Amino acid sequence: MMKRLMIAAFAATIGLVASACGGSSEKLYLFNWIYYIPEDVIEDFSKETGIQVIVDSYASNEEMYNKIVGGGDGYDIVVPSGDYVSIMIAEGLLEPIDTSRLANYGNLDPAAVARIGFDPGNRYSVPFMMAAAGVSVNRTKVSGYEHSWSVFDRSDLGGRMTMLDDMREVLGAALKSLGYSVNDPDPAHIEEARRVVERWKPNLVKFDAESFAKSFASGEFWVVQGYAENVFIEYPEARRAEVDFFFPKEGMPMYMDSFCVLRGAKNVERAYAFIDYMLRPDVAARVADYLMLPSPNVPARALMKVEPNYDFDDLARGEFKEDLGREALKLYNDAWRRIRVGN
Amino acid sequence: MSRPAARKRSSFSRSVFVGTIVFLSLPLLVLVLYSFNESKSGAWTGFSVKWYVKLFTDSPQLWRAFGNSAVVALASAFVATVIGTLGAVAVNWYRFRLRKYLRTLTFMPMILPEIIIGVSLLVFFSGIGLRLSLFTVFVAHVSFNLPFVFLLVLARLEEFDFSIIEAARDLGASDGQTLLRVILPISAPGIISGFLTAVTLSLEDFVITFFVTGPGATTLPLYVYSAIRFGVSPVINALSVVMILGTVLLTWSTRNFLKYIAAK
Repeated sequence: MMKRLMIAAFAATIGLVASACGGSSEKLYLFNWIYYIPEDVIEDFSKETGIQVIVDSYASNEEMYNKIVGGGDGYDIVVPSGDYVSIMIAEGLLEPIDTSRLANYGNLDPAAVARIGFDPGNRYSVPFMMAAAGVSVNRTKVSGYEHSWSVFDRSDLGGRMTMLDDMREVLGAALKSLGYSVNDPDPAHIEEARRVVERWKPNLVKFDAESFAKSFASGEFWVVQGYAENVFIEYPEARRAEVDFFFPKEGMPMYMDSFCVLRGAKNVERAYAFIDYMLRPDVAARVADYLMLPSPNVPARALMKVEPNYDFDDLARGEFKEDLGREALKLYNDAWRRIRVGN
Repeated sequence: MSRPAARKRSSFSRSVFVGTIVFLSLPLLVLVLYSFNESKSGAWTGFSVKWYVKLFTDSPQLWRAFGNSAVVALASAFVATVIGTLGAVAVNWYRFRLRKYLRTLTFMPMILPEIIIGVSLLVFFSGIGLRLSLFTVFVAHVSFNLPFVFLLVLARLEEFDFSIIEAARDLGASDGQTLLRVILPISAPGIISGFLTAVTLSLEDFVITFFVTGPGATTLPLYVYSAIRFGVSPVINALSVVMILGTVLLTWSTRNFLKYIAAK
């Protein structure tokens, strides 16, 4: 009886492994942010082209970058944010992209593309989505505030406010409030920004990038810095009007996530087909609807069925986060460490 | 009938125990409850099974991750069980050089922090030029499953009387016959619990898998991890409930199976 059980187990194992490795259809390996492209959009691409898309997901640029550098090659497409696009270009991790081969490339908003500094002329990256963190205020609890970063100076809201646990976002906010660039490399300006954050800090409950939206939705926090999608996914739909989401008038750090083809990718042709598919207005509109974000794809805007959380024009005040370079990055890290550790 | 003092003490320790168990189970209860919440947000808005519908009909990536987990768990547990059992038999019955050291060395992956094993495997794989894939995940899982199987089988082997083996040899059984007809049946409970432990460990491993996973090799814990970074999706809650049920069912049937084996 034992023997038969063993044989059965062995056969089952072999069968499972074979079924997992098998399937000789055309494949494309996509390494993407989690919940960034709805699964049915990818399924439709497979139906149209017969290309099977194998998707793995990450939750931060660092996670993606470490996997690629640490031997996780074998992906065809990755979707880094701007600063990581320039880091990966500098390290020779990306394959140049010939945008003239993408029939739908012209759909992208030229104004948005022109502002890209991380890959001027888009030689290695194709813009996918852009957005920014803003400030959400609970209207039922707070009044008499300006659409400005100065809201974090209000000590009467002490213990009711949070900012993101994100160096670039918080220091970027402080730099913008002083009228500097979010990528300012000047040590004196960074020091000034640090003092601004230290001034805000006593009024904040914490720096939090993960669970602040739940507490905001439950009414515990009244003013939070964060991404609109995170806030609205938690907030009860019927009471959305209570939330005032805005981008401060001084401006804010902004990100752009782009499709990049990895150097040594095996399926470059399929990667082009996929990127071009994602640039198609109807597809871009479905993605934007799903994320409730404005689309950088101009013809897609007319096709959207869902009202985005803010207008594309609201992003005009934003500034893309660029790679800071080694020296400036160290200054930012030091400032952030002093803020977080408090010495 | 008078109640002795010992009885009272035991009722105190029992209530502490019951309290702890209830406290530990409460989060699970909340999870089960919220998997039936109609709204995506933290507030309760009404009963709904729509997250279960979405889980079973509209989550291909999640199920692919689940499939990867299942394949790796069964395959690595099977291989670890075979190697671990043979190793335990060898260490328990045969005398050879460095036997003690071999035994100690086997425990290393159990004692070392997972993160060190993960990093060392990653360095090793890239050193020998092996591309990260489901295969490297499988190899990693075999390596950390091995000591558990080894230990469980060894414990079983150490329990029983060596004279049974001698009797088998006395009656003319060859080495192979002794192994198949005597040793394996006797150590079956150890082997089976070793296998099931390995399956469980493999299914839940996050840290080591995180390092050695490659394209197309996302396992369920990795998927859930990246999913919860953007707020816990109710689909994950629904999945957790399904998995809790599955685990309970598996444990229950295993217990009965072991009882059945023991009774035989």
